[in-house]
Amino acid sequence: MSITHTQPQSNTVLEVANLTKNYGAVKALNQVSFSVPKGSIFGILGPNGSGKTTLLGIVMDVLKATDGSYLWNGQHADHNLRKHIGTLLETPNFYHYLSAYKNLQIAAAIKGQSNPNIDEVLETVNLSQRMHSKFNTYSLGMKQRLAIGSALLGNPDILVFDEPTNGLDPAGIAEIRTLMQSLQAQGKTIIMASHILDEVEKVCTHVAIIQQGVLKTVGSVQEVLNTSPTTQVQTIEIEIASEQNATLLQELTAYPGVHAARDNGNYIILTCATTVDAAALNAHCYSQGIVLSHLFVKKKSLESRFLEITGNKSDR
Amino acid sequence: MLQLFKIEWLKVKTYRTFWVLFLIFVVSYPAFYLFFASKFMEFDQANPTQEMVKKLMGSPFIFPNVWHSAAWFGGLFFIIIGMLFILLVTNEVQYRTHRQNIIDGWSRLDFLKAKLTMMLFFTITATLLVTITAYVCGSIHTPATVTYTLTTKLYFIGYFALMAFMYLIVAYLVSILIKRTGLAIIIYFAFVCIIDNLLWLTLTLKGEQFGFFTPLETTDSLIPNPMSNVMNMRTVTDTSLLIGTGVYIILFTYIIYKRFVQSDLKN
Repeated sequence: MSITHTQPQSNTVLEVANLTKNYGAVKALNQVSFSVPKGSIFGILGPNGSGKTTLLGIVMDVLKATDGSYLWNGQHADHNLRKHIGTLLETPNFYHYLSAYKNLQIAAAIKGQSNPNIDEVLETVNLSQRMHSKFNTYSLGMKQRLAIGSALLGNPDILVFDEPTNGLDPAGIAEIRTLMQSLQAQGKTIIMASHILDEVEKVCTHVAIIQQGVLKTVGSVQEVLNTSPTTQVQTIEIEIASEQNATLLQELTAYPGVHAARDNGNYIILTCATTVDAAALNAHCYSQGIVLSHLFVKKKSLESRFLEITGNKSDR
Repeated sequence: MLQLFKIEWLKVKTYRTFWVLFLIFVVSYPAFYLFFASKFMEFDQANPTQEMVKKLMGSPFIFPNVWHSAAWFGGLFFIIIGMLFILLVTNEVQYRTHRQNIIDGWSRLDFLKAKLTMMLFFTITATLLVTITAYVCGSIHTPATVTYTLTTKLYFIGYFALMAFMYLIVAYLVSILIKRTGLAIIIYFAFVCIIDNLLWLTLTLKGEQFGFFTPLETTDSLIPNPMSNVMNMRTVTDTSLLIGTGVYIILFTYIIYKRFVQSDLKN
């Protein structure tokens, strides 16, 4: 495994460089590189089997990379550094014969916490009532919440969640979403792998899309949503209409920031730079004597963007 | 290391299977040994051919021979602890808690060292038990007319500690390589009870001394059966067996380390 000695940007929590993982002939990860900005909720999005968990497994040192490197806060991986990262990886892993409380005592002891906030985290994940029940009596949702609680031990500044809402009911999912947003508001950085587009779109500030071990795109959610998959230029689409669509089409073709304009029969569809402002566009048309009867800035969903990038197939 | 042991103790102190197997060893070994010694001594005193028996068996339950026989019997029962240790290691893999320990901030070496502290715990407690049992047995059965030095043959207690550690490191190796609890226990028992002994027997019957250098026989041979002295065909010295034991411990430790530190932690 080669080692990178370049210094990351000061506001980078995790920097992954050319990470590759082979399982025999299968490339689970292929030259994946990205940076996670401090204070972000960074979603790693991909179909089942795309390499999300493999990526997180490598940066948490339970899997060994075939090639590439990663830096946490600009430092090479070290077990002491992991003590200050709260992690839920893949499935909740606890001693089945021990209670939630005792399991968290062990996790806190490994993290070297002399005065762990076990009661507080159990309260946060709504497990206080069952804290002395054995782990093997827990439902899937309770196990998941315990794993999230364990990640919160010691109030770490970095949290890594792999499919955090697995097994949770709708109320539980909403609670975890709120929890993540409140953690971000406290300045924490959250790295979250998920295949649930809605989850990523609702909570993440940044997203990396991985398919078959290859990084397809990365950036802020807005950047990813607005970047053309073919030209890689950031664009938005605006639908407009008036009683004089032909004049409107002619007028706006040369409007600053408009890359393309077409008439679909009902509306004029403008593909334009993200800097184009709908209000200014409206004012411009009015000044040219065209009164708009319709103006709509089309917001792309992450789902449509994701499908544009990955196609419809699962990686499994 | 003490901190690592404290965490290991948190893992097992309320684990019922741990206590059941540990207590089976702690209760059954002294009970069986003392009962056997009692019956043997009764037979010894009642049988008219006692002089011949004594000559053959060397009164194994009186001082100072008692250290030898207690260590040998301890070895028979220590297999229970070997099985318990396999269970503790493979449970970690089966429930993926070994991954979680690493994720939470242990290095892989920390994990291995933590299990080493449990090996030392088992070795020390078992050795203490053998020592106490031997002392009690010797105190009960040694006639007042016999003169002896208490520390004569006390080295057998040290040999027992070494044998116990060797059995545990073999159990550790099997656990790390096999990972599955049931299969690991079967392979361990097969190795301890059949394969190692067959190797020893085959080589010994051929008149070879190499048989005493199979992995477990190196320490087993340090404590030969106290009731079959005439069957002892060993000519290699204790020192060479101790060197052999050291070589095996280093080799097995290296394999465990390489395997665990360099591999992906999956189940």
